[in-house]
Amino acid sequence: MALVLKINGVPHSVEVEPETPLLWVLRDTIGLTGTKFACGIAQCGACTVHVNGRPTRSCSFPVKAAAGTEITTIEGLSPDGTHPVQVAWKELDVPQCGYCQSGQIMSAVALLREKPNPTDDEIDVAMTNICRCGTYPRIRAAIHRAAGRKSANLGAR
Amino acid sequence: MTTMNMNRRDFLSRTAAVSGAMVLEFWLPPSRAKAAAVAAQPWYRGGSNDPEINAWLTIAPDDTVTIRVAQSEIGTGVFTACPMMIAEELQCDWSKVRAEYASANRNAREKAPTWTLPVPGDGQYDPAGGGEPVQLKGEDGVYRRMGIGSSGAVRESRYYLQQAGAEARERLLLAAAQEWGVSVADLVAKNSVITHTPTGRSTTYGNLAAKAAQLVLPDPSKIRIKTPDQFTLMGTEQKNLDVPLKVTGEATFGIDIRLPGMLYAAVKACPVWQGDVKSYDFSAIKHMPGVHSVVPLPAGPQMYSGGVAVVADSWWRARTALDAMPIQWDYGRYVNVSSADLYKECFASFEKPGKPLVNVGDIQAGFAKATKLIEATYQLPYLSHFCMEPGNATAMVSAERAELWCGDQVPDRALDQVSKLTGIPPENVYVHTTFVGGGFGGRGGWGTTGALQITQVLRIAQALNGRPVKLLWTREEDLRVGDSYRPAGVCTFRAALDPDGWPIAVHVRSTGDHEEKRGLVEMPYFTPNYRYELMRTAKFHVPWGPRRGTGASLNTFYMESFIDEMAHAAGRDSYQYRRELIARNPPPPGQGIGGFRFRDDWLKILDLAAKMSGWGTELPKGWARGIAVDDRRRPERRTGTVCAQVHTVSVSPQGKLRLHRVDVAFDEGFGFVNPLSVRKQIEGQIAFGYSDAMHQEVTIRDGRAVEGNFNDYPSSTTAEYPREVNIGFVKTNRWTEGVGEEAMSHVAPALANAVFKITGKRVRSLPLRHHDLSWG
Repeated sequence: MALVLKINGVPHSVEVEPETPLLWVLRDTIGLTGTKFACGIAQCGACTVHVNGRPTRSCSFPVKAAAGTEITTIEGLSPDGTHPVQVAWKELDVPQCGYCQSGQIMSAVALLREKPNPTDDEIDVAMTNICRCGTYPRIRAAIHRAAGRKSANLGAR
Repeated sequence: MTTMNMNRRDFLSRTAAVSGAMVLEFWLPPSRAKAAAVAAQPWYRGGSNDPEINAWLTIAPDDTVTIRVAQSEIGTGVFTACPMMIAEELQCDWSKVRAEYASANRNAREKAPTWTLPVPGDGQYDPAGGGEPVQLKGEDGVYRRMGIGSSGAVRESRYYLQQAGAEARERLLLAAAQEWGVSVADLVAKNSVITHTPTGRSTTYGNLAAKAAQLVLPDPSKIRIKTPDQFTLMGTEQKNLDVPLKVTGEATFGIDIRLPGMLYAAVKACPVWQGDVKSYDFSAIKHMPGVHSVVPLPAGPQMYSGGVAVVADSWWRARTALDAMPIQWDYGRYVNVSSADLYKECFASFEKPGKPLVNVGDIQAGFAKATKLIEATYQLPYLSHFCMEPGNATAMVSAERAELWCGDQVPDRALDQVSKLTGIPPENVYVHTTFVGGGFGGRGGWGTTGALQITQVLRIAQALNGRPVKLLWTREEDLRVGDSYRPAGVCTFRAALDPDGWPIAVHVRSTGDHEEKRGLVEMPYFTPNYRYELMRTAKFHVPWGPRRGTGASLNTFYMESFIDEMAHAAGRDSYQYRRELIARNPPPPGQGIGGFRFRDDWLKILDLAAKMSGWGTELPKGWARGIAVDDRRRPERRTGTVCAQVHTVSVSPQGKLRLHRVDVAFDEGFGFVNPLSVRKQIEGQIAFGYSDAMHQEVTIRDGRAVEGNFNDYPSSTTAEYPREVNIGFVKTNRWTEGVGEEAMSHVAPALANAVFKITGKRVRSLPLRHHDLSWG
């Protein structure tokens, strides 16, 4: 079945089974490999993308439901790693192995759009992504740092 | 984005590879002006015309220094720390340093230069010395130690990486001296510039590199490496070179490999270890969309459990078809085994005589004089590595040549494995190391199951006659079949205390299907009589392997829990009790009981953690501080890394635990390479140790692992991470063991010790979530 997906502002026509999770269409059909697979059951958040601006676990989101939506992946956040959240992540040297970080960043961007200056408790509630390396304190600090930037344009495209 | 990097030349090279041609020279490096410090695809690609000064580095005309990193970046910072050790001696401009992986293929073809083999100085206690060379026996390929593990990247490779930088620097100096007809003694090398002091004349490394590459130094082994007081780059906090790639999704992990014509494989192996496939019905699925073929993976050498792979044109299709394929398993002889059986066997081993490993004094005489006797038995479960990136590997195998793309912790052994399994000589095997989505000891061939993803992908690739294929496990396959666990264990303690509560005799017996004696063959707390016995069980069929912390993740919990129980029985403060008993050990250089190595470092570090935490100051009701101290590798190594931690915890009357604050005092030795990475490692180990303590357990039922994914094998979250973590470094007069796992095993006992203070409940098994912690 042919579907048209609008990803990072660009339309892509794909021929896939409609039940295929969006994650695998992004990664294997389109080649956007920044979004990661880790659990396959919407538990860990490594596959987080934005669907119409909402953080969505793409491993458990059928591609047919994504047709007609605006999808943003880590690759669409900025052309050169200069989104305020990415900049804060670099300044605080957040990643270790780095595997979960695309999902962490997408969750953080969505949080900051909802709550431009989140409290620690709000971060706890929103940031449910798992990081086995344990970069949590730096993630928290980076979210606060990004929030503190007045010039921050925190919305993804 | 990975696909975009696959240019036409790449495609040519892949096509050529299928027919077995040598192809590395086809690849062109990206335009240097745009090059990031690390390429998204970090493996060695060859094809550069930049002069190679020695095997570790090239210098381009614009002064860009490309440094080869032999060890895999699993998140511990080696992609930055290893180049720092070379750049320190090279005295180049750090902002012009790029990093890439060293070639495992070259390591297989080329021997280490002789000047890298002798260990300088007198090892551990000499600031000019090497780390600990014993591990490197037999590792004589050009890049020496290629495996990442045992926290050893700095400990074991520092001296020869410094030498490599120094050798390159001396060649550049010699090149300048020859060009100008002056003496090397009048030259100064700094920031990629060489200056002739008498005249002020100067030139850049880039200008000299071509000439330096041709020179032969008369005797590189005479070069003295710098001592810590001379370091200018090492010891400074440097941002990790790979981080910019990891915030944009560009960093290429094994799972991200895409090759022209590549197929995808999904695999199921028998869930009962050492079982096999009885039959499967490919005809039931072969008409499903995209399905290409089926490949049997029978049990055999390096295949702990037999399985079957379905190959398709996408992974989702392969997986969907595999799930639909009827498979009959031959579960084998262990299908009725459960955790209860294994623990029963552990407890039964206490009824038989053990193997006494330590017997100091006379414990019977000690017990005869006891004023108070205390006993405790601790029990710990199997644990999975549970890396974020599920196991995967991509391979392309023709008759003459094999290529493997994999995030493996031991690329040189992976290369040997490919060679052995395919019969292709090592010089025709290319292992392209990717970024690795977590390692923790589990992403290499060290465990019972070997590097199973490599064995499996090679079988599949061989069946595909030169067509590339990517194998990827589901999360469940990774946890249940692909992993080799931290072994389960049981340990029992018996102690005799004198009227003041000090130990007269301690008897320790530990068991489990793997010997984890480290940390128990010596008691850090003075007792005149000590006996330690290792009890024997049958070999269990559950696969085990090294996991972050190794033996300490069991034994530190045992020892640091029991010393707390002793302190309580003595009616003494748990910090002061430890302190007094460590101090009672005679000073070094004696060994074992009565000669505790690094005794004074232990005291300093324990004191600092207590002081940082405000030990002894009042806390609200329902709150307490728990303490733990250990040196993970004691007493087997000459090196040490002592760490003490205080965890400030609350437990609600309903039993909800919250970790508020952790104070860590950590052994710095002569100094760290990159203190920023050290902080990150320690911060991370708090989360990792918390998962072990609070949540994780692999249970065995019907011969297989019960847990399979994040829903039943939970991992700690942002919300659980303490809001305050303070890290204090303590200089000690020696090189240290490492930083990758030296702060992890303290978490569980420190939490359990705090829980006891609050609730009066002594937790002697993990995870904590199985215990009712309610009180009041």
